[in-house]
Amino acid sequence: MSETNKQLYGYLVEFDNVDGLVNAAEKVRDAGYSDWDCHSPFPIHGMDDAMGIKPTVIPWIVLCAGITGCTAALAMQWWMNAIDYPTIISGKPFFSLPANIPIIFELTVLFSALTAVGSLFALNGLPQLYHPLFTVEKFARATDDRFFLVIEASDPRFDLEKTRQLLESCNGLSVEKVED
Amino acid sequence: MSLHDPAQLMDERRRLEGLGLSVTRYGGAIGLIGLVLACLMGFIQENGMDRFFFVYLTNFIFFLSISLGALCFTGIQHVTRAGWSIVVRRLMELLAANVVLMAILFIPIIFGLHSLYHWTHAEAVAHDPILQHKAPYLNTAFFLFRAVIFFAVWIGLALFFLRKSTEQDESGDYKISIRLEKVSSWGLFLYAMTTTYASFDWLMSLDPHWYSTIYGVYFFAGSAVALFATLSALCIGLQKSGRLTRAITTEHYHDLGKFLFAFTIFWAYIAFSQYMLYWYANKPETTGWILRRQTAPMLWVSLSLIFCHFFLPFFGLLSRHIKRNKSLLFFWAIWMLVMHWVDIYWLVMPEYVHQYGEIGAAPFGLMDIFCLIGFGGLYAAGFAMWARGRSLIPMKDPRLAESLTFENA
Amino acid sequence: MVTAPYTREIDNTQDDPRVRAPLVTGDNDFGSVTNKVCSIVEDPRIHRAWLIMLAISVSFLGILGAMISYLVWEGVGVWGVNNPVGWGFAIINFVFWVGIGHAGTLISAILYLFRQKWRTSINRSAEAMTIFAVMCAGIFPGIHVGRPWLAFYLFPYPNFMGMWPNFRSPLLWDVFAVGTYATVSVLFWYVGMIPDLATLRDRAKNKYRRIAYGVLSMGWRGSHRHWHRHEVAYLILAALATPLVLSVHSVVSFDFAVAQLPGWHTTIFPPYFVAGAIFGGFAMVLTLLIPVRHFLGLKEIVTLRHIENMNKVLLFTSCIVGYAYSVEFFTAWYSADRFEMFTFLNRMFGPYQWAYCVMVFCNVIAPQLLWSKKNRTNLYVTMFVAMCVNVGMWFERFVIVVTSLSRDFLPSSWGMYYPTLIDILTLMGSFGLFFTCFLLFLRFLPAIAMAEVKTVMPQAHLDRGHHRGAGDYHGDIPGAHKVEVKAEV
Repeated sequence: MSETNKQLYGYLVEFDNVDGLVNAAEKVRDAGYSDWDCHSPFPIHGMDDAMGIKPTVIPWIVLCAGITGCTAALAMQWWMNAIDYPTIISGKPFFSLPANIPIIFELTVLFSALTAVGSLFALNGLPQLYHPLFTVEKFARATDDRFFLVIEASDPRFDLEKTRQLLESCNGLSVEKVED
Repeated sequence: MSLHDPAQLMDERRRLEGLGLSVTRYGGAIGLIGLVLACLMGFIQENGMDRFFFVYLTNFIFFLSISLGALCFTGIQHVTRAGWSIVVRRLMELLAANVVLMAILFIPIIFGLHSLYHWTHAEAVAHDPILQHKAPYLNTAFFLFRAVIFFAVWIGLALFFLRKSTEQDESGDYKISIRLEKVSSWGLFLYAMTTTYASFDWLMSLDPHWYSTIYGVYFFAGSAVALFATLSALCIGLQKSGRLTRAITTEHYHDLGKFLFAFTIFWAYIAFSQYMLYWYANKPETTGWILRRQTAPMLWVSLSLIFCHFFLPFFGLLSRHIKRNKSLLFFWAIWMLVMHWVDIYWLVMPEYVHQYGEIGAAPFGLMDIFCLIGFGGLYAAGFAMWARGRSLIPMKDPRLAESLTFENA
Repeated sequence: MVTAPYTREIDNTQDDPRVRAPLVTGDNDFGSVTNKVCSIVEDPRIHRAWLIMLAISVSFLGILGAMISYLVWEGVGVWGVNNPVGWGFAIINFVFWVGIGHAGTLISAILYLFRQKWRTSINRSAEAMTIFAVMCAGIFPGIHVGRPWLAFYLFPYPNFMGMWPNFRSPLLWDVFAVGTYATVSVLFWYVGMIPDLATLRDRAKNKYRRIAYGVLSMGWRGSHRHWHRHEVAYLILAALATPLVLSVHSVVSFDFAVAQLPGWHTTIFPPYFVAGAIFGGFAMVLTLLIPVRHFLGLKEIVTLRHIENMNKVLLFTSCIVGYAYSVEFFTAWYSADRFEMFTFLNRMFGPYQWAYCVMVFCNVIAPQLLWSKKNRTNLYVTMFVAMCVNVGMWFERFVIVVTSLSRDFLPSSWGMYYPTLIDILTLMGSFGLFFTCFLLFLRFLPAIAMAEVKTVMPQAHLDRGHHRGAGDYHGDIPGAHKVEVKAEV
């Protein structure tokens, strides 16, 4: 890729402690940006507030999946053992609810867990093996011991000068441009 | 919030004061009147005393289970060095200390042994080889001796917890916390053994032929539900009265709600395990007990347990928004208390129907209500008496700051 | 591979209630934790000790393969199972291995719900242990079905015969329970590992490692918007895995307890099996982690306090198991059922008395050593107790399975059970599979959940009291000394 093809992705600011990142996040949130993110080696408590992140819908998706699993398991056992292929075993009724509970429970959990992980990946947009940030060498420490905040150029409020000034006022270690 | 905030949080009312006095007075009076009325009804009706003792036992076990749950969880808080629960621990200690009251209220049961327990009938035992086999365990003298042991262990532990904790309110000595932790570790073991055999003696032996190894765990699961329901409701009530308004926060309610939710599920798990295994093996020795509960008049009680002691509260308490909402949590706490009462009723009353043959309708009437009110009044009075002169939170517990500023992740 | 064969043992087991002990000792920061954990995987040298252990494990794995091949070729007759003891080593090993797995789930899910922050240092390896244990467990019922190549009959799939499985059978519940358990365990383990795999990717020095860990970590970049969902999903998985782990061993116990056989048909089996499983599993975690922390230089992350806490869990679960033994015994007498009474006396005084004694000594008596703090913090005593429990829990299943089957209702149908060499070698082979997997895990995957460990270090917390959660005080309780009780209003 030649130099001229490169597009501006955004600004990246680096911190070496949690407080710096959270303070900066609050500033950026208050300035009204929308296309921005923080990167840290571990989840930081209080960051949801600092970034103004709304609660995720994952729990509701999982609830639906759980109810589906529960119903499917009940319907399956009823249909297979009482309707399609009834057999007399140990004198139990064809449809024996107490004996069906374990599998109802297991399938509820199985459906819920698979959905929880599936929706996690889907909502996070993973797997995504390439990302502009990976071109920044020092960003490798985002999974080690450094903390980063990035404002993307796609943000409607993004401005080469003002955004840079805002980030510089956050007292990070450095502010730099990221190109794609 | 900055670091000096915990100190400000303490700026609140944290004693019962006048309220305690009136609760003691009116609660005690209402309680005595209730019990006397229930007893009178027993006297008047034909064979009413038999019924009275069953009703009495139901309510006795109901309130005892709250105290036993509290005793257990006080110990668990100590042994796990819990931080979040410090602000509600004193309330648990006070509830647990009410086992002293329950020991006094056990005395009437002694006079009702003949009505309650089939194995006390010498003529029945004489014709029943199974009861003869059990006679070394199921006989009045040993039964009473065991009751003394049970109450001795519970009262000893409960008063030790309360006394030491109150002592720390004065001295602030952190070594008391260490001592409490040590005693709790083996104390919990004694608790488990005594509670199990108490539930065998007082509840399971109502049908002396029937047995279930999980019975003690079932009783424990119910006690835990009872405790967390009572505790949530109690905290909300105290805050309504202007006490502990700052110490107990939404975060603590959230945790109490989680425990209530968790033990609702745990109870269902234990109940299902017991039911399913006996249903599946279908042995005459063990299915009779269940049959009495899944045929009229008890069928509807059993179904109400499945739906109202598990399904509805499961969905009711699932969401964190509900656990963090005081009015909704209060609603579900009271709901679970009612259902716990139904659970104890379900354990006790079918045996009354079985022995005294009141088939047709699940026995419930004014006598139950008087008795419940009677016990409720006395229990509240007992609680207020224990709370007299004591702070409602452990003021100098070394982990108090942690509890005051506690937040759910 | 061994970078720091020896690190100092720092005692952080103090009981002072005024402070929360640090969970990472020594002079560590985020970077040093990353270094300590990643260097195990990144070290280009192959350490001899590791290689020798791997060679031993692989040869046992080979034995397992040979034994299974022989079994498939010859049939189940090569085992000691007979009539009346139709369930021998296979079911014992199955229950034993599934049980081992339960400690991993307890650590990763249940302790998570209880906010036990010390779990972060041990959850990764414990979860790995869970998965490998469930793999070992899954083999046994699979090869016990007689014609293992038809084991897929267990699943409800549409077929030309128009048949469906019988869902009223507890053995089918097992298929669903263990299948779900294996799936959820892998998901839980993998979801938790993604951020750490990204760390390995970002530190990778050569292309292949970068691609391998890059693909495995799915392009994780530590975005907080991702972390937010990650934490919610992780919490949900923990909340699902908690009842799941209870259900799995309950279902395993149903295999026995729904039958009418004396000694099997008892209602306390479900919770008692669960407690026993966690008990045995914790012993295995200790057995694995004590050498691991020593040889891999992880003593500052898996500290003495972690060992002590695990010992407390061991003691607690030992008491539950002891409680269950005693209640079962009492109820056998109380039931006045002749067969019940006989079964329990037969366990104590019958032909398998020695197994019963091993079980009681290992599961109930030996762990009583752990009442003393001195013993809980002594690694030799800990290792001794853990070994006892490993053995004892296997024998518990032996006692349950064999004593009840060998002498049931009718004396004319009694019979003894003796395992064959094939039985014993298959059991040993399963350990080969387990240790091979575990050794490979140590070499190629992050053995400590770095991202989670970092969250419990004091540096990870904002310097604002408002944001401190309950477990976040490890290493410091800010402002604790400032709490003063004001006069009442």
